[in-house]
Parts: sequence; structure tokens; C-alpha cells
Amino acid sequence: MEETKYNFDVVRWFTIMAVVYLVVGTLVGTYIASELAWPFLNFDIAEITFGRLRPLHTNAVIFAFGGCTLFGTAFYMVQRTGNTSLWSPKMAWFTFWGWNLIIVAAVITLPLGITQSKEYAELEWPIDLAIAVVWLSWGLNFIMTIAKRKTSHIYVANWFYMGMFVMITYLHVVNSLAIPVGMWKSYSIFSGVQDAMIQWWWGHNAVGFYLTAGFLGIMYYFVPKQANRPVFSYRLSVLHFWALMFGYVWLGAHHLQYTALPDWTGSLGAAVSLAMIIPSWGGAINGMMTLSGAWDKLRTDYILRFMIMSLAFYAMSTFEGPVMSSKTVNALSHYTDWTVGHVHSGALGWVAMVSAGALYHLVERLWNTKMYSPALVNIHFWTSTIGTVVYITAMWVSGIMQGLMWRDYDEFGTLTYTFAESVAAMHPYYAMRAIGGMIFWTGGAIMLFNVIMTIRQASAQRSTAAATASA
Amino acid sequence: MSSLREYFHTDWSAMTLHDWLGLIITVGAFLAMVWIYSYVFNPKNKERLESQRHIPFEEENTDSEKEK
Repeated sequence: MEETKYNFDVVRWFTIMAVVYLVVGTLVGTYIASELAWPFLNFDIAEITFGRLRPLHTNAVIFAFGGCTLFGTAFYMVQRTGNTSLWSPKMAWFTFWGWNLIIVAAVITLPLGITQSKEYAELEWPIDLAIAVVWLSWGLNFIMTIAKRKTSHIYVANWFYMGMFVMITYLHVVNSLAIPVGMWKSYSIFSGVQDAMIQWWWGHNAVGFYLTAGFLGIMYYFVPKQANRPVFSYRLSVLHFWALMFGYVWLGAHHLQYTALPDWTGSLGAAVSLAMIIPSWGGAINGMMTLSGAWDKLRTDYILRFMIMSLAFYAMSTFEGPVMSSKTVNALSHYTDWTVGHVHSGALGWVAMVSAGALYHLVERLWNTKMYSPALVNIHFWTSTIGTVVYITAMWVSGIMQGLMWRDYDEFGTLTYTFAESVAAMHPYYAMRAIGGMIFWTGGAIMLFNVIMTIRQASAQRSTAAATASA
Repeated sequence: MSSLREYFHTDWSAMTLHDWLGLIITVGAFLAMVWIYSYVFNPKNKERLESQRHIPFEEENTDSEKEK
């Protein structure tokens, strides 16, 4: 067989930037969480208020950290499972620089208040156009690399990335349709309830296809590789993929229960959300059972711990989400911090932890060395787990208390609590949430240090080996 | 029984193009899922599908950049 040469330089840079953005994105998140607990931190500076920095936090963690992780892992995995090199290494570099410039644009525009005011799609129209071009460059390169593969079958992890590519392309284009009225201002072509429906059709599918399907692609390749065992059931993975693709697009309406949206639409969203528990749990069990007969690996392999813990959080949040979408629970949970807790159990527990596992795996393979300090990987694992649990527990208590206070009324039908009283009652939980965030951020900072030291160690080892060879 | 009939009553003449498109896509997606389930769980396909589990372990181990 002809020897294959892989292109990993661009993967290395995506890996490094992903870790950097993990630290930066969670730092901004921790700061704005602290602003909610201790408002003096706003310092009366508009650019650093919660309203300006919150979209910067979400864009940094979802698109900067998540995007670099997805692009890097995709370019690595598609070459290895297809026994082929990248279709266009130059285009891969265009994706890298283009994506990072978009992140720079977000860092400049969002604190200045330049926004479309669409959640998870705040960036203004010129940046939206740039996102579409760079996104297509990644997708084209990925699909063309699959087309030139030397294997007959396309491994299932690639399917998840391709599903994400197809769905996010048209979700981004439709949700971003807007009429520009200036270089940095535009208005959505949708209005009223249609605008709300399009917003949450995008919003929930960004969760479903970007933060779920894409990261399941990571799970289906990196869990078997790290465990050194094939995935538990390939047939289950095929079912998982198609059920996710057919099911997820229906869910967005559950974000708009008890609004001007037709009642049946919310019911349909909730019904399909509940049905989605089956494929989601099927996938989580498939990932966990890959360790069947080798559970002892969790004692010594800290990278694998990240991956398996992430699957536990994936299973938990894909159960919690459908429960929250049902009208009875939604009447209590909607607009409260419970939603924030739910999002973070998925974002921190599932997305960030499976990414950390995959990134550690990549660092060892790409620099052909072992981690500088496995003990620090273990400390990162525990800070991530404890930080996430502290965060979501605070938000559960805070959210349920908010919901109960807002709906409580006396025998005369008058509300028992004012809104300000409910805000005051949240203070201890907002402080607790900020502490949870700080713990999680500490883990990310430890990871960055460990990765830098690992790369330095690998460079030193190569220099020593070269010197020995030439002597 | 009459209430069930009432519940499922559909005024077909009032169906718009969007209603028909939605109906066809929904029923189509449902039938596709039924086909996928029957394909995946058909014992004849078990070996063919499960053999793909090993793809990540059949890769070559060459890095173009490492040789620079």
C-alpha cells in the first residue's frame, strides 16, 4: 500500500488555539457571573457590562473554543479514518486564519455594542458573511478529503461532522437573513413570532447540530482510540446518527411555550424532545459501554476519565432538557436560572469535558510525547467536575426558587414577592455560581500550562535526539 | 369512539401547499426511520455493520510534518 502523508500542522494550531480560547472564554464567563453577584464590577464602563460581555462569552466558548476544537479534530480524524491527506492544506490554513479573524472581529464589535441582538448569532452582517465563507471552506475541504479516502466505508464519526456541516450551513444562512442599513447595523427580515421561531429554530439546532452532533463525532473517534477498544456497537451508532438528524430539527419550538407561538407548535416541540431521550441515551450508553470489560482503565487514564464523565453529563442533560420542555415543568422553569444551569451542564459537563479529553489525546499524538504532568491532567479533571457540579447545583436551587417566588400569590390573588425580592434572594447562589466558574476556569488554566510545557518538552526531546543522531 | 373520530378529523380541502409539504416530509421522515431500524436490526446486516467498528485501528501512522 502507498504510504500516506497526513497534514497535521494546521491541526496542531487549532489544538493550541482551542485551549487558549477555553481559558479566555471561561474567564469572561466567570467575570460576568461575578458582575451578577457583585455589580460594582461593572465599574460604570459600558464596554464591560454584563449585556456587552455576555455575548462575547458565549461566542468565545461556542465558536472560538468549540469551533477550533471541531475543526482541529475533524481535520485529524478525517485523514486518519480515510488513510489519506487533506484535500487542500492551503484551504485548511484559510479556515484557520479566517476563523481566528472572525473571533478578533467579535472581540472588537461585541463590547462596542455592535450586535444583531439574536442570541448565539449576535455578530453583524459583514461578519456573518465571513462566517459563511470560512465555514464553507472547512466543509468543502472535509467532504473532499472524504471523497479521496482510501477506505471503502466512511467511519461513523465523519457522518456526524457532515450532518453538522449540512445543518449549520442552512441554519446560519436562514437565521442571519437581514437587511443592512449601514456597515454595522442590519435588521432581521423576519418579524414578530416568525422572528422568534426562526431564532429558536437556529438556537436549539446550534445546540443540537453544533454542540451535540459535532462533539458526538469527537466521541465516536476519540473514545475508542483513547480506550484502545472499538466502539461498543456500530449498529447503535448508525441509529443514533439518523435519529439525531431526523429528530433534532423539531425541538426549537419548546423554547417558546406560553408565547404568541401556536400552542400545538410548542406541544410538538416538547413531544419530539421527550422522544429524543431514546437516541441520546443510546449514544451515551454506546460510548460508555465501549469501556465494557476494561473499566479499570479509568483508574489510571485521566484523559479517558474526561471522556466518560462527559458522557455522564451528556446523558444527564439530554434527560433534563426534555423534562424542562414539557409544558408543566416549563411553566416553572422558563426564564429562570434553571435554564442557565441546564445549558451549562451540557456546555461544561459535556462539550468542554469531551473536548478536553480529545485535545489531551491530540497533544500526545501530534507532538509524539506524553503529557508533561499526568497529575495536572487529573487535577484539571477534578476541578472541571467539581466546578461544573457547583455551578449547576447553584443554578438549580436559584432557578427553582425564582420560579416558585414569581408564581406565588396570596388569598387575594396578589403576588407574594416583588421581582426585586426574588433578585435579592438569588445573591448567595450567584456568588456560588461565580465560585463554580472560577474552579472550572482554574482547570482550564492548568490545562493551558500543561499543554505548553508538553510542547516545550517535545521540542527539547527532538533537539536532543537530533543532536545525538548528528554526533 | 366518536370523540376519537372528532379528534382525528381533518379538513383535507383546507390543506395548503405548506400543509401538504409538511405532511409529506413528516411521513417521509417517519418511514425512513422505520426503514433504518429494520436495516440496522436485520441479522443479515449485523456482521457487515459491526466490522466497521475497527476502522479507527486500521489507520497508517505517518505524519508528513514529522519528517521535516
